[in-house]
Amino acid sequence: MSEMVRKAGNEEIINHWIMAVSCILLIITGYGFLFQLKGVYALFGGNYAMKVVHNWAGVVFIVSLFATMFNYLREALTYDADDWAWIKMGGGYLSKSAKKAPPMGKLNTGQKFYYLVILAAGIVIAASGFSIWQVQGNRALTQVSHLVHNLAFILFVVAVPVHAYLGTLANPGTFRIMVYGTVPIEFARKKYPKWMKEIGK
Amino acid sequence: MTNRTNKRKAILVTPEVCIGCRGCQTACKAWNQLPGMKTKNTGTMQNPPDLEPVDYNMIRYSEVPSETNPVRWLFVSRRCMHCDDAGCMRICPAPGALFRTKEGAVAFDKDKCIGCKLCVAGCPFDVPRYDKDGKIAKCHLCYDRLAEGMQPACTKTCPTGALRFGDRDQLIAQAKQAGYGKIYGEADLGGLGTIFAFKDAPKLYGYADKPNIPESVIFWHNVLKPLAVIGLGGALAGALLHYVAIGPHKDDDEEVKKS
Ligand code: HEM
Ligand code: SF4
Ligand code: SF4
Repeated sequence: MSEMVRKAGNEEIINHWIMAVSCILLIITGYGFLFQLKGVYALFGGNYAMKVVHNWAGVVFIVSLFATMFNYLREALTYDADDWAWIKMGGGYLSKSAKKAPPMGKLNTGQKFYYLVILAAGIVIAASGFSIWQVQGNRALTQVSHLVHNLAFILFVVAVPVHAYLGTLANPGTFRIMVYGTVPIEFARKKYPKWMKEIGK
Repeated sequence: MTNRTNKRKAILVTPEVCIGCRGCQTACKAWNQLPGMKTKNTGTMQNPPDLEPVDYNMIRYSEVPSETNPVRWLFVSRRCMHCDDAGCMRICPAPGALFRTKEGAVAFDKDKCIGCKLCVAGCPFDVPRYDKDGKIAKCHLCYDRLAEGMQPACTKTCPTGALRFGDRDQLIAQAKQAGYGKIYGEADLGGLGTIFAFKDAPKLYGYADKPNIPESVIFWHNVLKPLAVIGLGGALAGALLHYVAIGPHKDDDEEVKKS
């Protein structure tokens, strides 16, 4: 057995799963609303029950999203020349042959962007959702919230599946981070050389 | 659009013959078992000031100047229009909460309503209200009475014929014969189920010249809804395609052979 490096702590892993499950519930119930899908409503125990699930899953989602700021925000706001190089080669995802990606830190450029987009869209979708849910007697505000909620929703249904694909099939060996939190040291040296240097491994 | 059959029923409102007795308001409350409500006198005879969860219909008392008199009183019935292309039905996320009766009315089922209040944002006439449980409340054209072969409580009560219920086509033909050139609601929003024989411009009676479903709702319906499906489908298809055509990521330290 090779030496393992801890990439994610237990609280980070648990929080990620809370966020993932609530997000998927929100997306499923969201489609249920959008197209009046009777089957989806039935799955959640009826019309009103599904609304309650959606609203409270929304609360859980935004709380767990805020909690991720302790884990990723600082990293996601740090950029240097290697990030530019990474963008230019598309992270190495756009060609069949192996390419050497520029050295990355704990998160690569794409992950940092993804994080910021989800953070922003998450705040927007939660704020508009709360407005539809709780604010009464303001037609214009409800109309804007409804529009914004759905715009952010479109962003989510594109970004979240891509994120899930990149975290599993597209990058064998990464998914275990969200289960055990650890990766083999050689893997880490290849994927996150700058971070490894930082922590002296 | 959705329900333009010859069977469509309507209420024809003729403000000119309304005497403002408010029998219609009372009859509606009696039939639908809606309690009374304390209101404030704000210097007008209009009461209640606007539609309420316990007031499905009301008479609007508009005071406008005329040539012969400083005040001309216009009594106009206000209630759900039972639009053929109904903004409330378009935006409602809950199946069965709003439904179209065979007479063409837009009725509701409180048990299916989730109380999201989106229909308020979708209605061009600011009609839907919410009861104390947060469920929709509005005129439903007494579809329960219609099912028993009766007419709505309000039209049944009206002593002057200011509110008349009947076949929509017939009511329109009769109003035109009586000299009303344009019938408000004849073609708007696919045809309203509450139509008006106005003598003057609709604005005078408190109605927009051209009522429209809010732009945001139309955009959401025509653009965002399809995009939500295309977006998810595209993302899943893109991931699959990438997996098949390019395959998992490789960033070996080994020599790069081809470019
Ligand atoms: C990932 C997060 C979320 C997604 C993907 C999502 C998606 C959706 C979608 C698609 C709809 C249907 C709207 C329509 O029919 O026009 C909807 C409705 C709604 N959403 Fe969200 N939403 C999310 C988060 C939230 C949050 C955080 C809240 C607030 C706590 C919220 C509250 C609502 C409300 C109130 C509605 C209206 C229907 C209802 O009352 O249940 N949503 N959402
Ligand atoms: S007037 Fe408003 S509530 Fe009535 S059918 Fe039209 S959109 Fe719906
Ligand atoms: S409040 Fe009820 S009737 Fe109105 S849009 Fe929501 S579910 Fe539909």
